Amino acid sequence: MQFVECRGVGKIYASKAGPVEALRGIDLAASEGEFVCLLGLSGCGKSTLLQLIAGLEAPTAGSIRVGGIELDGPSDETSIVFQDHGLFPWMTVERNVEFNMKARNAPSDARAVRAAELLTMMGLTGVATRYPHELSGGMRQRVGIARALTTRPRALLMDEPFGALDAQTRGRLQEELLQIWEHQRTTVLFVTHSIDEAVFLADRIAVFSPQPGRITGTVPIELPRPRDPETPRFTALKKELRRMLVPDLHGAALS
Amino acid sequence: MPSRVFGLLPLLALLVLWQAVSWAQIYPTVLLPTPAKVAAAFITEYPDIFRNAAASITRVIVGVSLAFCFAVPLGLLIGRYQILDVLADWSIQIFRSVPPISLIPMALLFFGIGDKPAIVLIFLAATWPLLINTIFGVRSIERTLIKVARAARASEQLIFRDIILPSAMPAVFTGLRLAIGGGWLTVVTAEMIAVKSGLGYMILNAQLTFRSELIVAGIVVIGAIGLIADQGVRALRARVCRWQEGLTAEAE
Repeated sequence: MQFVECRGVGKIYASKAGPVEALRGIDLAASEGEFVCLLGLSGCGKSTLLQLIAGLEAPTAGSIRVGGIELDGPSDETSIVFQDHGLFPWMTVERNVEFNMKARNAPSDARAVRAAELLTMMGLTGVATRYPHELSGGMRQRVGIARALTTRPRALLMDEPFGALDAQTRGRLQEELLQIWEHQRTTVLFVTHSIDEAVFLADRIAVFSPQPGRITGTVPIELPRPRDPETPRFTALKKELRRMLVPDLHGAALS
Repeated sequence: MPSRVFGLLPLLALLVLWQAVSWAQIYPTVLLPTPAKVAAAFITEYPDIFRNAAASITRVIVGVSLAFCFAVPLGLLIGRYQILDVLADWSIQIFRSVPPISLIPMALLFFGIGDKPAIVLIFLAATWPLLINTIFGVRSIERTLIKVARAARASEQLIFRDIILPSAMPAVFTGLRLAIGGGWLTVVTAEMIAVKSGLGYMILNAQLTFRSELIVAGIVVIGAIGLIADQGVRALRARVCRWQEGLTAEAE
């Protein structure tokens, strides 16, 4: 069953210089438990699409369904994780993790129990009473993921969540994310501009092109996990994706 | 950080200079009293100074509190809803440019001599910095944070209480500091004209009776209260906005 389904989705923004077409004719579906990466260079509309799926904005064309229901604002079935983590600086880690449940009027004792569960799972128990600015970038993003998971979302929307992290932390969080995903079997829509990251994580990669933002191809990644970036198949996939991502460059190299 | 005691150095230097000028007798003592004479005035006129200071402080507390209750909620709403901002912006810019002191004649006509005109003027002086800073505080909130809340389907009420209010708090405190400063300036001026008590009234009265030591004593008290009030607000801010510790490059 397709859990997230975009059909003919378009988004046009009004700007002072006239209308800007951010997305055109997007058809994208993710089945239940599927890990889909939205891969593209900056400005190709992949983050915009994620915001539409999160229900933060409405598409100007087409329709988006989550769990079979047409979106009208944010859905209870999704949670979003942002690149700049979006933690509230005046709340402790604990309070931050509880926020999404609080927003859904969960009673405070239930919130505390669930938050403690997630804090343990993400290895954050020791920093529960700290403020976000006291944590490292990797820890902050763990808090962001913990917060997103508290409401048991059936789809996790991630907008370049590891984009601002150093390579080691990034690698570790990618592995942790896969573990969580394998354990919880949520659908994941993961925006990234890193080919390596996409090939490492995804079941399927949707490749975006800019002006207007559209999907120019979909590549299934049928490598067994855990994946080794050093293998020839991994490298071959990267090469193929690079060609899809920047066709002009490749064309120029050929001629 | 260097010890706060350093802050006393310029004040001591000023005291020494004052004493030196008094000894040199550049000005007659009727104009410039010696420090000793002012100190004596503090002792002999203590009840009078205390009573007038209490009157001034009470007016400022009442005026600023009223302004706080009015301006902060209004600022939160204006900051959050663009339609209210468009509605209010020009009016705010016009009225905040009017010095409260220029409204004294009007206040006298409407409220006569007494507490009322003074409190109204303090209220006006305190409202603008509180309102403008609160609006600014709401505006400068990180957009991602609002998105997080909306994606989590937080109610507008929760967004106000848990996100907009705490995030605007540091700016509200900046507004409060300015409001108390402005209120304090206004009260002293207003008391010279519109009221028959308070430090402003005391100073003006001392001038009429050639008691310059009481004028200086009054000025010292006005300055000291200003310092204490500001320190108090800072301490309160540090408590309320504890999460900010270490976020800003330096404590303000």
